[in-house]
Amino acid sequence: MDVIMPQMGETVAEGTLTVWHKEIGDRVSSSDILFEIGTDKVEMEVPALMDGVLTEILVQAGETVVVGAKLGAIMAKGEAVNLVSPKPEAEQITPKFASLSLDRPKRDLSKKLSPVVRKLLAENNISHKDIAGTGRDGRLKRSDVLAYLKTASNVPVPEEVSGAIPGDGIMVVPFSYRRKMTAEHMVRSKATSPHVLQAVEVDFSAVNKARQSIGPDWKRREGYSLTYLPFVAKAVCSAIKDFPHINGHIEKDRLVVFERVNLAMAIDLNFEGLVAPVIRHADLKAVTEIARATNELATRARADKLTPDDFSNATYTISNNGSFGTLITAPIINQPQVAILSTDGITKRPVVIQQDGEDLIAIRPVGILAQSFDHRAIDGSYSGAFMRRVKEILEGKNWFELVS
Amino acid sequence: MAELTYREAVSAAIAQEMRRDERVVFLGEDIAKAGGVFKATVGLWEEFGDLRVRDTPISEQAILGAAMGAAMTGLRPIAEIMFSDFLAVCWDIVCNQIAKSRYMTGGQVDMPLVIRTANGGGSRFGAQHSQSVENWAMMIPGIKVVAPSTPADVKGLLAAAIRDPDPVIFFEQKSLYATKGEVPDGEHLDEIGKAKVVREGGDVTILALALMVPRALEAAERLQAETGISATVVDVRSLVPLDTQTILSEVKKTGRVVTVEENPRLCGWGAEISSIIAEECFYDLDMPIVRITTPHIPLSSADELEDAMIPSVDRIFETIRQEVD
Amino acid sequence: MAKNTVTKKKIVATKARLNDDIGEKKRLTMFRLQLEVRHIEQRAHDLFFQNLIKGTSHLALGQEAIASGFGAALRPDDYTFCTYRGHAHTLVRGASMTGLLGELMGKECGMLKGKGGSMHLTDVEKGAMGSYAIIGAHLPIAAGAAWQAQYNKTEQVAVCFFGDGTTNIGAFHEALNFAVIWKLPVVFVCENNLYMEYTPIGDVTAVEHPAADRASAYGLPSIIVDGNDADAVYRIAVTAFDKARAGGGPSLVEAKTYRHSGHSRADPGSYRPDGELEEWLKKDPIPMYRQRLLDYGIKEEVVIGIEEAVLQAVDEATEAAKASPTPPLEYAYTDVWADGGSSWRN
Repeated sequence: MDVIMPQMGETVAEGTLTVWHKEIGDRVSSSDILFEIGTDKVEMEVPALMDGVLTEILVQAGETVVVGAKLGAIMAKGEAVNLVSPKPEAEQITPKFASLSLDRPKRDLSKKLSPVVRKLLAENNISHKDIAGTGRDGRLKRSDVLAYLKTASNVPVPEEVSGAIPGDGIMVVPFSYRRKMTAEHMVRSKATSPHVLQAVEVDFSAVNKARQSIGPDWKRREGYSLTYLPFVAKAVCSAIKDFPHINGHIEKDRLVVFERVNLAMAIDLNFEGLVAPVIRHADLKAVTEIARATNELATRARADKLTPDDFSNATYTISNNGSFGTLITAPIINQPQVAILSTDGITKRPVVIQQDGEDLIAIRPVGILAQSFDHRAIDGSYSGAFMRRVKEILEGKNWFELVS
Repeated sequence: MAELTYREAVSAAIAQEMRRDERVVFLGEDIAKAGGVFKATVGLWEEFGDLRVRDTPISEQAILGAAMGAAMTGLRPIAEIMFSDFLAVCWDIVCNQIAKSRYMTGGQVDMPLVIRTANGGGSRFGAQHSQSVENWAMMIPGIKVVAPSTPADVKGLLAAAIRDPDPVIFFEQKSLYATKGEVPDGEHLDEIGKAKVVREGGDVTILALALMVPRALEAAERLQAETGISATVVDVRSLVPLDTQTILSEVKKTGRVVTVEENPRLCGWGAEISSIIAEECFYDLDMPIVRITTPHIPLSSADELEDAMIPSVDRIFETIRQEVD
Repeated sequence: MAKNTVTKKKIVATKARLNDDIGEKKRLTMFRLQLEVRHIEQRAHDLFFQNLIKGTSHLALGQEAIASGFGAALRPDDYTFCTYRGHAHTLVRGASMTGLLGELMGKECGMLKGKGGSMHLTDVEKGAMGSYAIIGAHLPIAAGAAWQAQYNKTEQVAVCFFGDGTTNIGAFHEALNFAVIWKLPVVFVCENNLYMEYTPIGDVTAVEHPAADRASAYGLPSIIVDGNDADAVYRIAVTAFDKARAGGGPSLVEAKTYRHSGHSRADPGSYRPDGELEEWLKKDPIPMYRQRLLDYGIKEEVVIGIEEAVLQAVDEATEAAKASPTPPLEYAYTDVWADGGSSWRN
């Protein structure tokens, strides 16, 4: 009698045989457990269902077959025993090393993604499903991903650039992988999202008081300066509580809103490219913790020590151009997020303030915060109200308390 | 260039250094008139005489103790321990005294000495005369550990060890003594702490030491010819100091690592390097790290048994063929 | 136990020989050295009970005459090696008291930067080539230092101090045999204080005089000296050094003495039979030596002057060591290699 892959559920089409409990030549009785299977819904021990001898094994442990496929055969008592040896493996271990070979158990790595593969997939924002594996048993290996990346970014480089010869006052700078990947992202993002830019002007004097008070101590203790950035990040996280749609992913025709803020901080790698690693649950962190986390990510990014986990599940992005002293930047959204904020230069400017009912001029540190948002998910009024809230928090909160 | 055997390179290196520096002296059992039980020091007594090349009684603690006392007071001694297994007899002097005196005295004590010893199996000497114990030395802070695979490396690295102001244990593989290789003429000085890439390939990086290097090379040639797998082979050469830069950069190029170690499995030198790779190159690995070692058993003396235990060309070939996809 | 039949050569310190070959200056030196050792050891004892010295220490109270007698006979370029009970031997070479106490207290001013502690006192500049905590290890090492002297024809001598228990360990036998056959200028000095740690030496040794009775096994004469008489020790030292410097090879000396305290700080010495300590306290080397100085015409003011100077020096060193800070953390990473660092990789 044939042993077949049983149907374990109405919608289940295939199963994986995980272990045989009997070997060829073994006597079995109908209640003996013959093998075990796992499907994506259930794991099961399967009895022999008849008395006899197991004479054939056609499917090895670890293999996946469709429901109804023949797994082996049992010869009933009284019939001639016809032992069939197992299907010879493609690669036979030379017998004299059988016992030596290994301190190492055999394992099936075909479904596993190796560390380098995961890193390459994360860095380039692609899925393992997009690439065919050519390793053993279909394993997706490093060379497969590298080959895919090569073809994916195959922008044919013309031999001459409009007749220009390098050296004639002309320098040709070929795009690195990172440059190519960034270029593709940016084009894709602009093509996908209708970007709208909104800006607010923020008086940073409240923040500055706090910064000045612990600044020197901080620098001495931590080894780097406490900038405006963690304060902006904190204000953004607080404002998101009132305007949750800012913190989401756009999928086809719906918005997925997240409760926690995973804040991606865009970090420049010495003018050679951008990465945006994530501060997990930034909304639960204090200003000082955000400052430390940002510094830690920047340090690791510049030492090329970021891991795939550092890039996952970002919900909002901040791009900080403050150190260049620029006025305003219109950033490009980090897909599939809803919005991205740019912080630019903060300089002392004359501003009009009210004191005792009179209008006076004061000198204050002022900077522009500009948000690009995706007009598919939200409108100018929602974004505008969010930006107003961010400004209110930055200008009105007692930052002094929060950092001392 | 001249062709020398591995054993000739030993005496050539010692002679080169003894000619150059009056402070270099050499002691050990049967090393002088007899030229060493492995004939690795033939000619030295004839050239340098009784004062500088001295036979000792069978007294390993005295041999290494005297070497240490002489090194502390201005000489540059080379001490031979006939079989590396015998390091166990004088291990106190190695690991408690030589390795630690500079440190414990706040830097006062100098220790410019070399311990040379015949290491490893393949010669049917049985369990107590065939061990690979370079990993024992690797574990003790304060000693440098070198294990060359070719005559040129013997000459260059032994000279470097003699000139090194720190204590060095120089492990010569006894089954390599008869092997031949090209050695540069004239003064030859290599650098301790530098590994050598002896073969380049793109599919897998093999890390090997001493006797395992020529075997890895032969296996790599077979792999290329029969399976198309192209292997890089790195001769590690120094366990301390360790050339982690070269090793890690070669690992990153292929994403696959295999170590080939003569020492028994547990705590072999490859275990430490594997752990460094796992920590610092984790995200560059395309395959779990594989170690090919002698199993964790004493070595038998019978030909076939010993050959089956120490990693052979066949075993290296088979293992890589199965593991590398 | 087999009785040793080799005739023993004994050197006896008779009054008639005093103050002639040794002289007042040498004697005052030896008195000062013994006092320094006594006071430093006493101070170490007290600091331990004030919890300023941690870990363990092995004091040489009662055994001062041996180190001092040899110390006075040594040239500055000679080498000495001693055991973990080595404060005395290190001090008599001229090592700094502040450095010594500082090392015991684990301070930055310690002579080993706080990295070795009581058991490893070393002052290479003064020829004190280390205190060794593994029994027997330093005997072949001392032979190696003597080898250097022989090789370079410098007439330096290496002196190696160890206890009675050492005579039963393998390295002792290897070193003696080795030194004899190579005719090395090394003097092996066994300080027999009657106890191998907590056990009477007689219980664990096959011969009566643990060192002197083994000398013949190495073709050496048996030499026994009263280790509590600095003059007797001095004379033996000079004889042995002359022999070694002239190329006559090694000597093995057994000096009989007694330690007043336990083996280490942890040991109150209660295994000693009643009355034994009291008997030996009567033979305390320092009061005996003091009296001898007076007997031979040295003015008491001079003696008192030395006593006061030594006490003051020990007090000053104690204060200086107490005031020194703990070693900076970086010290833990220095001095593995000759370049001062500890790196094992690039």
